[in-house]
Amino acid sequence: MSSAPNAGPSPGKVLVVGGCGFLGGHIVNLLLKQHPRTQIAVVDLRTTSNRNSHANVSYHDGDITDLAAVTTLFSQIRPDAVIHTASPHFNAPNHVHDKVNVEGTKNLLKAAQDTGVKAFVYTSSASVILGPETQIVNADEKWPLVTGAAQPEYYTTTKAYAETAVLEANRTPAHFLTCAIRPAGIFGEGDVQLLPKMVTALRKGQNKFQLGDNNNLFDFTYVENVAHGHILAVQALLTSHAMLPTIPLDTEKVDGEAFFITNGQPVYFWDFARAVWHEGGDTLPLSGVWHLQYDFAFAVGALLEWILWALGKTPSLTRQQVRYSTMDKYHNIDKARKRLGYEPLVDLDEGVKRGVRYIVEQEKRESEKKGQ
Amino acid sequence: MVSAKDLLYLTAHPRQLRSIIQWKVWHNPVHERDESKECESLKRCFHFLTLTSRSFSAVILELHPELLVPVALFYLILRGLDTVEDDMTIPLEKKEPILRSFDDIMDKDGWTFTENGPNEKDRQLLVEFNVVIEEFKKIKPAYQVIIKDITKKMGNGMADYANNAEHNKNGVNSVEDYELYCHYVAGLVGEGLTRLFVEGGLANAALLKRPELMESMGQFLQHVNIIRDIKEDFVDKRRFYPKEVWSKYVTNFEDLFKPENKELALNVSSEMILIALTRADDCLYYLAGLKEQSVFNFCAIPQSMAIATLERCFQNYDIFQKNVKITKGEACELMIQSSQNLRLVCDVFRKYLRKIHQRNNPHDPNFLKISMQCGKVEQFIESIFPSQKPPIDAAKSPVSAEQAAKEAAAAHEARWDTYYMILAVVLTITIITGSMLFIAWLAGARFDIAFSEFKQQFGELLGSSNASGAPVSSLVEDAPGHVEL
Repeated sequence: MSSAPNAGPSPGKVLVVGGCGFLGGHIVNLLLKQHPRTQIAVVDLRTTSNRNSHANVSYHDGDITDLAAVTTLFSQIRPDAVIHTASPHFNAPNHVHDKVNVEGTKNLLKAAQDTGVKAFVYTSSASVILGPETQIVNADEKWPLVTGAAQPEYYTTTKAYAETAVLEANRTPAHFLTCAIRPAGIFGEGDVQLLPKMVTALRKGQNKFQLGDNNNLFDFTYVENVAHGHILAVQALLTSHAMLPTIPLDTEKVDGEAFFITNGQPVYFWDFARAVWHEGGDTLPLSGVWHLQYDFAFAVGALLEWILWALGKTPSLTRQQVRYSTMDKYHNIDKARKRLGYEPLVDLDEGVKRGVRYIVEQEKRESEKKGQ
Repeated sequence: MVSAKDLLYLTAHPRQLRSIIQWKVWHNPVHERDESKECESLKRCFHFLTLTSRSFSAVILELHPELLVPVALFYLILRGLDTVEDDMTIPLEKKEPILRSFDDIMDKDGWTFTENGPNEKDRQLLVEFNVVIEEFKKIKPAYQVIIKDITKKMGNGMADYANNAEHNKNGVNSVEDYELYCHYVAGLVGEGLTRLFVEGGLANAALLKRPELMESMGQFLQHVNIIRDIKEDFVDKRRFYPKEVWSKYVTNFEDLFKPENKELALNVSSEMILIALTRADDCLYYLAGLKEQSVFNFCAIPQSMAIATLERCFQNYDIFQKNVKITKGEACELMIQSSQNLRLVCDVFRKYLRKIHQRNNPHDPNFLKISMQCGKVEQFIESIFPSQKPPIDAAKSPVSAEQAAKEAAAAHEARWDTYYMILAVVLTITIITGSMLFIAWLAGARFDIAFSEFKQQFGELLGSSNASGAPVSSLVEDAPGHVEL
């Protein structure tokens, strides 16, 4: 559990693309915590949120879909390493996913290749192997990508395409090294998807229900651990870079590879939710929970979707939610353990505490504001 | 043997009755002890074995002949040591040298010990300990070395604890102490047995290179015993739950037994069960290293019983009030499932882990940690017996935007190619047919006749011959070309 300064070799001058986002902000913070003397540049569409006031961080507004602007920024900053975390919101329209995830990533690669960047780490997604029918049971990186017609989420398709583009750019030119990190179920302070939704469900009293039998294991990953995985990847690439022209063994290679990064602590889906709810103030005993069978819940979800679609509203139970909360989705992270030396810095239970407390404090501040 | 209460219970639980009958009727020992070849002293040893060990004698007696006697003697020697340690009527200055030199006692022909208190349940074993020593001399020297080494380590460990006034007064302090205590009384047994198995060629020598696995085998069983026996030990004025754990919830150990502290007592037991569960995956890993069926059964059966007992104790306030046990039917079912292969033992573990996590209380301080630990063991089982292979990319997903675009373009092109092909065929047929007809016309073919003939026959076919019969025949007659030809 080393988050002390000078953990491992210096990552050099790092450019964090999307460094004002949820994950990007945490990467900047952890980088500074572990390597207080490293120079960090952040490029984001808007650099107003999640800012770190440390003197070694510079913020640059920039749109990665604009190749000329990106190239100018790169030749100004001249980073040793690039961590690319920028991505549009999951629910954005398809053409935005194409433009940002695929074209934006290619622009960054081009600029990095042209300005002598040594290491390029891309934030992919663990969902790139998740098809509409399969369960993810202890899956490793040998599982094939599911994209195009087989992939129900266009966002995921474009993440996979971008990942391929990044990995194909590895060693072109020979001193340009790349890899991809595939995190699963990121949560933590400042998360806008996972924890806020679960806490909202609690506030609505939906904690009384459980869908399925709750024997399905699920990977959730605390954001600082994901950040840690990225930094380890940068360090590993820079180490390989220092070895050039020697190429590492296939079994030790980091460049050109993708890595699942999770907490390595899969838990039963509803257990995670209950831990979040408990932290959010829930006191409902286990005996007070209603168990809904999968088939029943699925039918209700479908029905609600149709009815509320007709009314033009979003239902509080959808088939996708039913599927996600009753399926196995956990990964084998041995590859990251062996090749990156990855171990989670923060255990899952501690992560839940930190993440939920952040939301509870936010709620408090908001209610105080209203009270005034 | 079977009480009325048991009978009533079994009538209500026919599945358990079935397991008992199955085990009694169908279970064949892997190896059977051949009593006819045994001398008197060895017979006496086995007599003591069945007398002193309740749970272990059955599995020991079925062991491979190579290890049957060494393991039985190993058990009796440790039982002898334990009987000296346990006896509070023996003064410390007398007890300590015996504990520390118990390995040397194995060289003293005819050594016996008669100073145990009258209530010590296994005192007769020490009274006749000369038979054990006599048989010990006959086993292979390599086995003797291992057994002596473990006896020495365990005797010294026990002596250290007997000397430790703090331990005697307040019980175990930290979790580290607790695990050290379990190491002396159980972890070392795991080490000794593993060395015997490997020496006898019945287990993979790699097990010796992963000492934490054999340690966990002993630790897990001991933890479960301690968790289950809290009430019994408390009555006997012994405390094995580490203070580091219970002091988080109550100020005095005896407060755990007060009804108003029920919730806190359950929190303590959950934390103890969590500590025990951290050993479960190691135990399964260890079992994978055993080569011989009787050795596998010998090791696997107690582990399955332990996980089932742990499940019985989880979130069960009864452990603070009375003796909690698994039923005989459940035990038989576990024995059947644990005397076959690792896969079934893994199924047993998974079944009980799921039962545990289903009762996991979200408001327990260790709620998510317990869930994480159950998940960890399930993931480990999945890694040795994967339930699915990596899927085959049947849909042939494109891996990049370029490939996707290329594939889309190729599909588009392929569609137009098909259209062009159809057009070409149609055109070719039209041209050929056209030219043939033209040539035929040049040669004087009368298509008008052919056409009317066709029309007539077609009309007949439809059943309206009357209207068109006459004109056609007149046409034929009129045809000049026909006449000329």
